[in-house]
Amino acid sequence: MTSTQGRVENRQPGYVPADNSQPPSRRFRFNEWLDGHARQLFITPAVVMILIFSIFPLVASLIIAFSRVRLKAGGYQVRFVGFKNFSKQIFGSEQFHFLGTFTTLTFLGWVVALSASAAILWWMYRYITTGFSIIGFIGRMITAIVGLGIAWMFAGTFFSGNPFGTLGVTLFYVFVGCGVQFIIGLGLAFLCSQPIRGRNFFRVAFFIPMMITPIGVGYVFRMMADTTKGPFSPAWQWFGLNDFAWAANPWTARIFIIIGDSWQWIPFIFIILLAAFENIPRDYVEAGQMDGASNWQIFREISWPQVMPVAVTVMLIRVIEGFKIVDLPNIMTSGGPGIATESMSLHSFFAWRSLDLGQSAAIAYLLLFVTVVICVSFFNLIVVNRMRRI
Amino acid sequence: MSNVSKVPRRSLFDRLFEPPRIGAMAPGAKIIVYTLLLAWSAFVLFPIYWLLITSVKTAADVNAGPFFIPFVDFTPSLHAWRELFIVDYADTLRAYVNSLIISLAATALAVLVGSMAAYALARIRYQPNLITILIFILTMTAALFAVFSYGVDWRIVLVVGVGIFYFFSKAVASRVKVPLANGDILFWMISQRILAPIVVVVPIYMMFQSVRMLDTHLAIILTYAVVNLPIVIWLMYDFFNSIPKDLEESAQLDGATMIMTFREVVLPLSRAGLAATTLLVMILCWNEYLLALFLSTAKAQTMPILVAAMNAGERGILWWSMSVVIIVMIIPVVFMAIVLQRYISKGVLLGAVKG
Amino acid sequence: MSTDMSSASETDTLTSDAKRLSIRKMNKHYGDFHAVKDLDIEVEPGEFLVLLGPSGCGKSTALRMIAGLEEITSGEVIMGERDVTHVLPKYRDIAMVFQSYALYPHKTVAENIGFPLKVTGVPLEQRNQAVLDAAAQVQMETLLERYPRELSGGQRQRVALARAIIRRPSAFLMDEPLSNLDAKLRGFMRAELKHMQHELGVTTIYVTHDQIEAMTLAHRVAIMKDGELQQLGTPAEVYTNPTNLFVAGFMGSPPMNFIEGTLSQGSIQVGNDKIFLQGAQEGTAVTMGFRPEDADVVEAGEGRFDAMVYTAEMTGDLTLVTVKHGQSILTIKMPKDFVVDYDQKVGIQFDSGLSYLFSTSDGSRLKAIVVDS
Ligand SMILES: Nc1ncnc2c1ncn2[C@@H]1O[C@H](COP(=O)(O)OP(=O)(O)O)[C@@H](O)[C@H]1O
Ligand SMILES: [Mg+2]
Repeated sequence: MTSTQGRVENRQPGYVPADNSQPPSRRFRFNEWLDGHARQLFITPAVVMILIFSIFPLVASLIIAFSRVRLKAGGYQVRFVGFKNFSKQIFGSEQFHFLGTFTTLTFLGWVVALSASAAILWWMYRYITTGFSIIGFIGRMITAIVGLGIAWMFAGTFFSGNPFGTLGVTLFYVFVGCGVQFIIGLGLAFLCSQPIRGRNFFRVAFFIPMMITPIGVGYVFRMMADTTKGPFSPAWQWFGLNDFAWAANPWTARIFIIIGDSWQWIPFIFIILLAAFENIPRDYVEAGQMDGASNWQIFREISWPQVMPVAVTVMLIRVIEGFKIVDLPNIMTSGGPGIATESMSLHSFFAWRSLDLGQSAAIAYLLLFVTVVICVSFFNLIVVNRMRRI
Repeated sequence: MSNVSKVPRRSLFDRLFEPPRIGAMAPGAKIIVYTLLLAWSAFVLFPIYWLLITSVKTAADVNAGPFFIPFVDFTPSLHAWRELFIVDYADTLRAYVNSLIISLAATALAVLVGSMAAYALARIRYQPNLITILIFILTMTAALFAVFSYGVDWRIVLVVGVGIFYFFSKAVASRVKVPLANGDILFWMISQRILAPIVVVVPIYMMFQSVRMLDTHLAIILTYAVVNLPIVIWLMYDFFNSIPKDLEESAQLDGATMIMTFREVVLPLSRAGLAATTLLVMILCWNEYLLALFLSTAKAQTMPILVAAMNAGERGILWWSMSVVIIVMIIPVVFMAIVLQRYISKGVLLGAVKG
Repeated sequence: MSTDMSSASETDTLTSDAKRLSIRKMNKHYGDFHAVKDLDIEVEPGEFLVLLGPSGCGKSTALRMIAGLEEITSGEVIMGERDVTHVLPKYRDIAMVFQSYALYPHKTVAENIGFPLKVTGVPLEQRNQAVLDAAAQVQMETLLERYPRELSGGQRQRVALARAIIRRPSAFLMDEPLSNLDAKLRGFMRAELKHMQHELGVTTIYVTHDQIEAMTLAHRVAIMKDGELQQLGTPAEVYTNPTNLFVAGFMGSPPMNFIEGTLSQGSIQVGNDKIFLQGAQEGTAVTMGFRPEDADVVEAGEGRFDAMVYTAEMTGDLTLVTVKHGQSILTIKMPKDFVVDYDQKVGIQFDSGLSYLFSTSDGSRLKAIVVDS
């Protein structure tokens, strides 16, 4: 080797020095440029899309919520009105619609209100005396205030024999509906994870409702629940209930909506929890059997702790989606009788349909606020706490 | 004395709820399990059966009270099917094609954009400055306020807004830094799912109205894609995190660019995750009603709107036709599920939910 | 020990004598596949029996049938005087250590160890004391509050052991409990395990595919192949007196050397040399075996046959000389200072009394012996 550069001698055999005499091709340069900007390139589309279709509308919605919007020829007239839209819902003429009808509290109402308040205050007191951080305190403060508000709302309406508004209805759908769905979904998943025949049949059959459009589910259940022409009308008649109008009674109407909602959503909970059960290593269960545990002990001490993290997350998703419920009450009852089955999404939708955009946005924002507070509280106070122990 | 091992006397309860043989199921448990599962199957399948037979009933069959078994209780007739697919086939076909175009395109867009972002978040470290973001949000709020409440022309506001944002982000944000991490970005993106469609739909409606895009495919496609982006990002982030980095690193050592690595190495490895995500997003887009109701009036109407259209006001609900529409809506979803299911190992959704 | 029958159930969960464990004509079919064939083993009270065999030979299946985790297709399992063939695992009074340890990830070490007592309703006080005792026995007293994921492999192994011993069961079953540990730790845990079993005196069945583990741990070894028991005996018996070709080849490291040939005129041809046999029928295909430590490398022409040196490996305490002969590779253990060149022609010498002859066709041991001429 007759190189003048001594360094080259140290190179690996087969080393070919880069030939810099030719300029790189245009295509190559473009690829290099792309690679140099890959950081931005990969994430920008998502960020831009979310900014345009989520953040921008969110801010716009906020402005509308604080405004009075009038349709004019060829556009809108938007006038800033401060908290008027909100105060109308919470204190004003729409209070009955959003929160419910208030009279004086009955004895039961007082009991509920005071005991719930005491519980929340005691919980705050415990937090302050045991550990304390500014962020934790503010977060808990918000949770406590919303909790107190909801407790007094139910005490003043439901527990005092008055109808409650769309907030109460939404919370009813979320907590009762999702609770029922979770218990049934968990039960079905556990049963299907047992060594039984026909597992694949059950698995496929139970998944089907998830594929049907929610609005279709609404109509199907309207058919099912028809007391004169529906499939169960002979049964209704046999019970002497043929002229019973479930849609005219607030509670039966709500329950029918929860049944339809459960029919649609249990498959989702079922399919994920089933995978969680099947994912438990067989060794754990067998070790439990060797250690002398009964089937119930194995479920409680071994299987359940294994699926619990999954269950909590599934429920978080389900609750988030549950707050959005709109199609079923819209189709099955149109929110009726009166406003008895109207969820907040539907409330906002109806306000939009009557062109009251400010009210519509205000309700939508209230929904967002309640959802965020409840979901974040659920996550921070329950999930994080539990996870730490696992 | 030899140790007498304890053989418990079996009570009736034990005999019912303890397996008679190893690996078998207890008779009592068996009865309970099958009863419950069959009962639930009936609850799930009966409405679907009812849907099927309603689709072959005439108006008279429906109105004369419940008939259960075709050929026995009533004579099935294909009039509703004929009506939708022969007489009114243009409307049905348009809605069907609209639905197909919209959900396929929206799913593809969401999965592409979402998995790119998820991959970036799983592999690259970002440190966005909180101050920049705050400046951005304040500028945008002020700009929107100017447009809505004071009627300033949006083009002027856009230019001024960009200028103000640029100035402040140079002047302030380059000095004060409150760095966020990937986890924050991820949380921000996923949390978009909390937004009920009703919260954002009115401004989106106005936005599309102002650019004359209402009742177009593109408007619905973009909206659906964004609404489902959080799901894609969440599922795919978890999936990418579960793929070992070695293969990508070796591709990079071989001189592949990041885009090439993503296309040639990462995506083929993520087939299972992509299939599950695609299926889920596809189902959600295909079945969506509220946003479609706002954003389409005639041309771009989708199948769920057609379902609602069978509620013909004063003529009552056309149950037979509605059943047909609901049934034909299930078919593509089942088809997709069958096509994609061989790629889906059962753990994909689970992995994301666990994380 | 004379306990009143009525109080027996209370006490014998905590203390019990070792029991005899009889496995009689045990079979397992998975559909058409016959995984365990007519397994017959008597495990003496307090004995440490190792089930040894290559992977896939049905050891785990056999162990799981003894545990009651797998149904027995036919045959019996008897513990002491009790027929437990169809008894549920929880009533068998057996503890098992799994290959994966199967520690419950959501329970602390203490909760894991105490679980068998918790589910049988032992009061808390007594349970805590038992947990401390069991943990002390495996030197884990200081880590009781940790979770399994915070432990090293060896520590997890100890927790699994403590969970098995806390009940004082009548028998231990262990399925390759050491196979997830690194080599050094494995040797250490092996000694601990043996010591503990000796101290507790509990009947133990231990499954492994590692013949060194089997040799060092077992009172007796049962060697399995394709679901069938090949030989049952003490490690020394199995090593020095294998009943067939498979056992001879499976035991020992490096394994026994084999040379195949066909008997004609009282001898088999090995290269240019003849080795004379006595007691075998003319014309049979025989396999002759001798162990690496029973042979010597000598000058060419001075041994029973000649071969070429292939490699020589110095392992520290000795030198392993590998010679190539036809297709077969033979290994001979020589003293550590033994020096030999590659590709050198050498002779191989071995004692006629320390060689084994098998029938090549069915692997059975032949009565024949090697003679000098
Ligand atoms: N549940 C089962 N179904 C069918 N075959 C099985 C099953 N379990 C084990 N086997 C088969 O039985 C044989 C013995 O398995 P195993 O006892 O696990 O072997 P090992 O000796 O390695 O522990 C293997 O060939 C295995 O494939
Ligand atoms: Mg095994």
